[in-house]
Amino acid sequence: MYRTLFGILSVFAAALLLVALTFSSTVEVPADLRIANGTEPKTLDPGIMTGIPEHAIGDALFEGLTRFDGNTLKQVPGVASSWELSPDGTLYTFKLRPDARWSDGHPVTASDFVYSWKRLLDPKVGSEYAYMLFPLELAEAYSTYAGHAASIGDRILPALASLEQSAPIDAKTWQAFVRDQHVNAPLRVLGDGALENLLARRTGSISAAELAAFARGLERGQSRLLAENAEARAHFGVDRGVMAPDEKTLVVKLRAPTPYFLQVLSHESSMPVPRWALEAHGDSWFLPGNIVSNGPFRLASWLVNDHIRLEKNPYYWGRSEVRLERVDMLSNDNMMTNVNLYLTGAIDLLPHSYYPQELAPELRKRSDFTQSPTLIVYFYRLNVTKKPLDDKRVRKALNLAIDRDSITKNVLGLGQKPAYTLVPPGIPGYVPPASATERNVAEARRLLAEAGFPDGKGFPRLGLLYNTNEDHKRIAEVVTDQWRRALGIDVTAYNQEWQSYLETTRAFKYDIARYGWGADYVDPNSFLDMFVTNGPNNQTGWSSALYDRLIQLAGDVSLLSRDPEPLLAQLREPEPIRELLHRIEVGAPAEGQRAREELRFRLLREAEAILVDDECPIIPVFFYTVGMLARPRVHGVAMQVRLADGSVLQNLQDRQPLRDIWVDGPHAERP
Amino acid sequence: MSAVEVGAIAAGVGMLAGVAWLPPKATRVIGSIFGGALVFGVARGGLGVTGGVVAGALLAVLLARFGPNTVLRRVTFLLPSLLLLVFVTTLLMYHAPGSPFAGEKVATPQVEAALRAHFGIPKSAVEFFWIYVRRLVVDGSLGPSVKVQGRMVETLLRPALPVSIALGLLSLVLAAAFGLALGIRAGLKPNSAADYVATGLSAIGLSLPSFVIGAILIVIFSLKLGWLPVAGWGDLRHLVLPAVTLALPYAAYIARLARGGTIEVMSQDFIRTARAKGVPEAAVVLRHALKGAILPVVSYLGPAAAGIMTGSFVVETLFGIPGMGQWFVRGAINRDYSMVLGTALVYASLVTAFNLVVDLAYAWLDPRVRSDA
Repeated sequence: MYRTLFGILSVFAAALLLVALTFSSTVEVPADLRIANGTEPKTLDPGIMTGIPEHAIGDALFEGLTRFDGNTLKQVPGVASSWELSPDGTLYTFKLRPDARWSDGHPVTASDFVYSWKRLLDPKVGSEYAYMLFPLELAEAYSTYAGHAASIGDRILPALASLEQSAPIDAKTWQAFVRDQHVNAPLRVLGDGALENLLARRTGSISAAELAAFARGLERGQSRLLAENAEARAHFGVDRGVMAPDEKTLVVKLRAPTPYFLQVLSHESSMPVPRWALEAHGDSWFLPGNIVSNGPFRLASWLVNDHIRLEKNPYYWGRSEVRLERVDMLSNDNMMTNVNLYLTGAIDLLPHSYYPQELAPELRKRSDFTQSPTLIVYFYRLNVTKKPLDDKRVRKALNLAIDRDSITKNVLGLGQKPAYTLVPPGIPGYVPPASATERNVAEARRLLAEAGFPDGKGFPRLGLLYNTNEDHKRIAEVVTDQWRRALGIDVTAYNQEWQSYLETTRAFKYDIARYGWGADYVDPNSFLDMFVTNGPNNQTGWSSALYDRLIQLAGDVSLLSRDPEPLLAQLREPEPIRELLHRIEVGAPAEGQRAREELRFRLLREAEAILVDDECPIIPVFFYTVGMLARPRVHGVAMQVRLADGSVLQNLQDRQPLRDIWVDGPHAERP
Repeated sequence: MSAVEVGAIAAGVGMLAGVAWLPPKATRVIGSIFGGALVFGVARGGLGVTGGVVAGALLAVLLARFGPNTVLRRVTFLLPSLLLLVFVTTLLMYHAPGSPFAGEKVATPQVEAALRAHFGIPKSAVEFFWIYVRRLVVDGSLGPSVKVQGRMVETLLRPALPVSIALGLLSLVLAAAFGLALGIRAGLKPNSAADYVATGLSAIGLSLPSFVIGAILIVIFSLKLGWLPVAGWGDLRHLVLPAVTLALPYAAYIARLARGGTIEVMSQDFIRTARAKGVPEAAVVLRHALKGAILPVVSYLGPAAAGIMTGSFVVETLFGIPGMGQWFVRGAINRDYSMVLGTALVYASLVTAFNLVVDLAYAWLDPRVRSDA
């Protein structure tokens, strides 16, 4: 009789039954610790991973020769139990722990590292972090020279030949050609002065003869690159760069002393990968069931878009020091949800990047909130290939007119520091240049008038581009308002989503663009080498031969000893550098080593002065402060540690190794 | 767009028009073959190639012998539509700025070329289309995800789809139950207090976005009262808040449709006749009016079911649910081409399937439609 009604109800009942059936899954043992871990990890391959969520897990699953210790915030022995460095600072001999094992019981051997490092450098693998190992002898040749040679032969030379048809060409066409064809990349490794001179030509015209000479130079370079690549292929990992004389000894030869090299060794990119698992499972070697790892934890399960379960690795050499049995790393993009989960006790640890920043002023009032300055800088890039930003007086005026204190106090409010330099403070031993770019509106107006725009008259309307994000928006609105008030110029803030933004900035289709940069290792070089001529992340079009030279010398200070005076004449403070060169020459080896490190920082400081004070292709805005929420039951997470001498060491890279964390009692019942 | 791309789209549209002109006999034959092919494609994953062939052939024969014309016509359209969908989506992706390999650190041309070769994503959209379709047909695979590496798109969607279907079904049942009850009650007495309450509630349900509804529910039931978890997936308690959040806008819309349908059907002659015969009011409503009142709801349920069961990005991220909805948005944001196409294909297949079910349900509910078929 009630056929319709019956039909509807039976469909409903069947649907509900289906729903109930999908919930027949088994329930996991509760974890000791549950951590918000941001977006779903893209990979767990330590050589491929690039994001913060991936690194948090990679750090727990794998271990490099050294490791970052959460108690002392320093690099301490990891897989290597000890090492020696030769007096000239280029030859490391690592002794591997006899009890270092993979999670399947295999011993961790020196040849595992040789295999993993060769893989990291293999261009076919496409690791974004391959450059971390470029300090090794022949590593860059092994990784990139064949590719550079191919670029020259397949792309640049044919394009150059057709360009020669229309010679002479003007400098603008030439620079566009250089950018489009990525001419710089192979040239940078060639180090051929004549070629570089033409590459840097920005005015006048280039004749057919010059182009032909350039092509011949490239051909010579191409054969040299191929020869060096062949040499690297034959010798790297065998008797050059990195060698495994026996299963528990690893010898590493650097091309120049690299003070931050022990940090590189605790970075995920240099961690070993299990050859047999990669060969058996290919791309999916890091999935549950396939993965073999050598760190304090192993992968127990992976529920995509939900959580990754880590459990203590029973084969780990330091297992007695690992106090957590099971850890859940929760994947969720929704920052508000993370806060809710923390507030209801469903997670114990809420790291910096995973809650809405506008809640920071509220959250920092809580007693379970801790914060620390960190090595991340927020800055604006200026497109110097466009008018009027090609005039450094205009760039400097824009820089001087910004009131950074108002931004850090009124917009951000987490104790962020205003930035007048690119390199954040706190790197031991590095003194940033004394910058003259403190806020000075009168000087800014004078410079702008000098450049032909008195009171901002005639100044074209510019755009300030940022990737879509509330915080960037608020800052951009304040900055454009400050420029309008101080200089009378009109800059419009606008946004693009991330992928479009990347494309726009790379194609130089912007005027001013926001960017942020965090240190890969605690060293000024991690920031400053971004702005070498046509460096892949330079993206301002700015170029300075002196700057390039200083960055190159910082990579190998011994190059300076040959003929220092012409360079010293161009520097701000040549006297201390002369003194250091003298100390290196006459001092004992240990004294010379210290002087070399000091000299390196001096050179980087000179380079930074050019960038942030003389030329201003970028405008630093502020240095990040990060804060996290940790329940009182969680111990061993530290934003800073107090040393025995009373000084405070900051956790500058916000690294919280799971290995050093412990908790009181079991995890609270989930509500 | 290049000439090749424009030409290919024109050819695809032409193909669809051609299908519409096919004589009924041809539609039966082609539809049966297409149906068998589709079943082969889906069944191969579970049953292997032989099993897939058997299942596909079986269905093709059954369709040719017993399949109603409506079903066969839809199936005939399905295959060319899906091909066109893949092609147009591919073009849109390739014309959007960015690429799956554009990251913060700039890859050298060699590294990018190696990655493109590895993932089967060449620089030309048309080439990509052929690689994708060949892989789909030959390997039955939706291709590797660039964003969640080491996995094929189908292995990512396979666990996510049941989650979204479970949540969607529950929401749909809730939405239909509440919406129908509210709407029919309102439609029986237009302009009464009950009607104003119902239309008011439905206006609120329609206009409040789900992130607001969800946040309000979380504040009340999780943070203040502590009855339900704020987020997560694992037991039935995790299902309550997201299901209600997801159901509310649908319930509101269903209530409107049901109200309109009821008002219309209650003014019909046969209702007056039934009342005149002395049939009790409850029986008039349940036996005579209900059918007419829910017809507009049924035709809405097809697309609604497809939409609700492929998940909602907002609800899934708000409540931490590992469902399908996240992949639609993540795929697009990350320019994960295979994932974008995979989600589009799943969604399109579901829309078609549910529309087919709706057609059949309509035929069952409305004799006029049945006689047409």
